[in-house]
Amino acid sequence: MANNNENKVMSAGEAISRFVTDGDELIIGNYTVGTCIELVYEICRQKKKGFTLYSQSGILDVDILINAGCVDRLVTTYTLRSGGKKGGGALERALQAGTVEIEDYTNYNYNARLVAGMHGFSFMQVFEGIMVTDLFKKRSFMGEDKYRVITCPYTGKNVVTVPAANPDVCIVHVPRADKYGNAQYWGSMGSVAAAALCSKKIIVSCEEIVEHDVIQSSPHFTIIPAYRVNAVVEVPWGAHPTEVLGYYNRDRSFYGMFMAANASAEGAKKWMDEWVFGCEDRKAYLEHYIERFGMAPLNKIRARAFYSAPANYGSAFTSVWDETGREQTMGITLDEMETILKERGLLYE
Amino acid sequence: MSKGYTLNELLIITCAKEIKDYENVILGVGLPTTAGALAKALYAPHATLMMESGIIDFEPLIPLNHIADAHSCRGFSCATDLFTAFTMTYRGFVDVCFLGVGQIDKYGNLNTTCIGDYYKPTLRLPGSGGAADFISYAKRTVLTLRGGEFVEKLDYFTSPGYLDGGDSRDRSGLFPKGSGPAMLLTTKGVFRFDDETKELYLAQIHPGVTVEDIKKEIPWDLKVSPDIEETIPPSDREIDFVRRFAPTESVGRALTMELSIKATLNRSVGNGK
Repeated sequence: MANNNENKVMSAGEAISRFVTDGDELIIGNYTVGTCIELVYEICRQKKKGFTLYSQSGILDVDILINAGCVDRLVTTYTLRSGGKKGGGALERALQAGTVEIEDYTNYNYNARLVAGMHGFSFMQVFEGIMVTDLFKKRSFMGEDKYRVITCPYTGKNVVTVPAANPDVCIVHVPRADKYGNAQYWGSMGSVAAAALCSKKIIVSCEEIVEHDVIQSSPHFTIIPAYRVNAVVEVPWGAHPTEVLGYYNRDRSFYGMFMAANASAEGAKKWMDEWVFGCEDRKAYLEHYIERFGMAPLNKIRARAFYSAPANYGSAFTSVWDETGREQTMGITLDEMETILKERGLLYE
Repeated sequence: MSKGYTLNELLIITCAKEIKDYENVILGVGLPTTAGALAKALYAPHATLMMESGIIDFEPLIPLNHIADAHSCRGFSCATDLFTAFTMTYRGFVDVCFLGVGQIDKYGNLNTTCIGDYYKPTLRLPGSGGAADFISYAKRTVLTLRGGEFVEKLDYFTSPGYLDGGDSRDRSGLFPKGSGPAMLLTTKGVFRFDDETKELYLAQIHPGVTVEDIKKEIPWDLKVSPDIEETIPPSDREIDFVRRFAPTESVGRALTMELSIKATLNRSVGNGK
């Protein structure tokens, strides 16, 4: 589908069903904070499977997708465990059972793959120190292609490289976007832009859809331009229980409930049945949450305002014609200009 | 004589003293963030505090939940990205970084990836995150060990310390000269690395701990500094700062949990549930 400047607003259900395919390389766009939880849940509900999942810093996203049986392979640098020696979690269980294969990178090495991909390069140089570690030495499904060492044509030194990543589809949550898909993000930038821009298709969910004017007067916040975006999903509280700057903080007690449940396979299944499969969409999820805990926990984590100082994008003129209708350089009106052009014989008639 | 302090307060304050004024500091979550806030407030007003997520020169209001927690800051001076946070480290702009330890060997090499076989682990730890990159290229690294262990051989080599000891790190040509771990802080003492052999040795011991207590946890014959000192007790000013900024860290995880459950129950009773 060509990314025309058209209205791309749709439901999470439609976006996932149209743009996510079994067996895809799927990348989580968010990094540690404000994760695209509703899009993750929708993938689980639609029982998509066979993914090679990329997640730079897996929090709930990785374990929930593994719990739902969606993941065959994982590329990551860090995946939160449920805590303590007994903790574990879905990834640990899947590795022990041999149902998920993993490639471990460092934060920089993983990010370098996305940056190569976003700029159209086939590989990226990474820091040479990695060669002494098991990250370099122990390889899984990527084999030789996890890292390759080449000779720098300028210095003659050994240079370690990682291959570009160009995942099939990125799912990403942002604070705000317009209906065309211009996606704005602020706060902790992480690798969000690179993860989205290296991907072939991009599904954006947002806390709110704003007028195009808002985007045009604050372009420094736009990290994904509309022409790259396939779908825009408006989903308030779409990152809950993770946090979105300016909207809400992390729901720590609910997050803690997930971590506790996820420590065992039975607990995880029960949690998934209640919160992922048991709620048809985010609205149903929020209704269920309010039924269980009331509004108070959500009200408590709503952000108070701390506005960015507006940047002045203004200039001296908004037109080449002055207030008397004269062009500023030549000092003539449009009528006068046309007369002169005609007199000089410069018009084809 | 200062007022009483908790073990966590002692650890945070000892850690904070590793930050010097005018330094560029990469902090990790938990103890180091609070240590960074303390250092900035009391000893190093010109330090630049940074997180690898791209938050540069931040002013923390409360302890950060994680490395991308802009919610806990009252603004920051520059919002760069993760890629740039690492390339600036590679270029030598980071003076000190802080890392947590899963397993550590005698030369300060680290494992934060797994316990047991990598492909079928007994325990899957979080992974490298930024650890391997930072300890490779920050000018120096401060390590904190709380739940981790000392081992003869790492189950997985995640992050390079002094490799095989001696000058092997510098000789490899892969790292800036003189970089590497500078100090290891545990709940029992402070370890540093010998200038020549690069083997870690016990340099300070916390109050109420014996050298024997520490040796029990270490599977090799630990070297102990001939000038071993007791860790300097914190001042009232330091204790007050930590207690106000990060009360749950002063109190510690177990007691915080106990009190928070009690508070939740009390609220439920108050709500008539």
